Amino acid sequence: MTDAAGGAGAARADFATRLVAFVVDYVVLGTVSLVAILLFNDGLGFLIALLAPPAYYTWFEGSPSGQTPGKRLLGIRVVDAATGRSIGHGHALVRSVMRIVSAMLCWVGYLWMLWDPERQTWHDKVAGSVVVPATLTPPPSPGPPEPAPDPNFER
Amino acid sequence: MAAVGSTVGATVASFRATRVVELRELRVAGGLMLGAAAVRPLVGSPGLPCPLRTLTGIPCPFCGMTTSVTSTVWFDVRDAFAANPMGIVFVVFAVLLLLRRRWERVTVPVVIVPIAMAGMWVFELRRFDIL
Repeated sequence: MTDAAGGAGAARADFATRLVAFVVDYVVLGTVSLVAILLFNDGLGFLIALLAPPAYYTWFEGSPSGQTPGKRLLGIRVVDAATGRSIGHGHALVRSVMRIVSAMLCWVGYLWMLWDPERQTWHDKVAGSVVVPATLTPPPSPGPPEPAPDPNFER
Repeated sequence: MAAVGSTVGATVASFRATRVVELRELRVAGGLMLGAAAVRPLVGSPGLPCPLRTLTGIPCPFCGMTTSVTSTVWFDVRDAFAANPMGIVFVVFAVLLLLRRRWERVTVPVVIVPIAMAGMWVFELRRFDIL
């Protein structure tokens, strides 16, 4: 797991795959925002539209799978660069907020991955994350179900 | 004195540093860029807004790139240069990458990035009469 996540030469999701995943997530978020604005009065609708992207990315990328719907569709996931595990919701929140900075200079922070040896964007660097193919570092599967309690066992 | 020397040494070393850039993904990104630029005037897309300029009025080094790349693709080099000269360089590089499929990687001096961005930023600040 660590070798797959860290170190030069380790597998990383490529630019085209991340771009398509971004577009898919953008469509999902755009739909949610549009529905919110249409359903609710202006203030609440715009508040939902404003908070939806950081909430969306924090929730999904901080989950054990590290996958938004777009990333799941394209078979990639966000993992901690050092451990290969989920970055958790705290780092995912930092990562989603830092997307604003990545976009600030004409989206250069996103394009930085084309130059970076670890294929990290600026928000990846701040959060200590990398985006990897899910086939090489699969998300954790749910554990086996708990065995049914033995009715004859007395605590 | 030793600390100053080591700092100077580290700075000089950083200027000499190079980075090996894999060209496969740049080739894909370049192709997408050329395709979008070719289609943009036909669909009337306004291009990507610069968040920094939208919020503060201050242009970033990459302002004008959409116009510059589009103009270059449509052979309007004068407009391209006026918007951002680096767009012409990007288009030429992207075309070369598509033509030279055997190029796999290139070694680039790291210092070229801050120098290029500084030059582009000065150009844009002058273009918007801030400098």
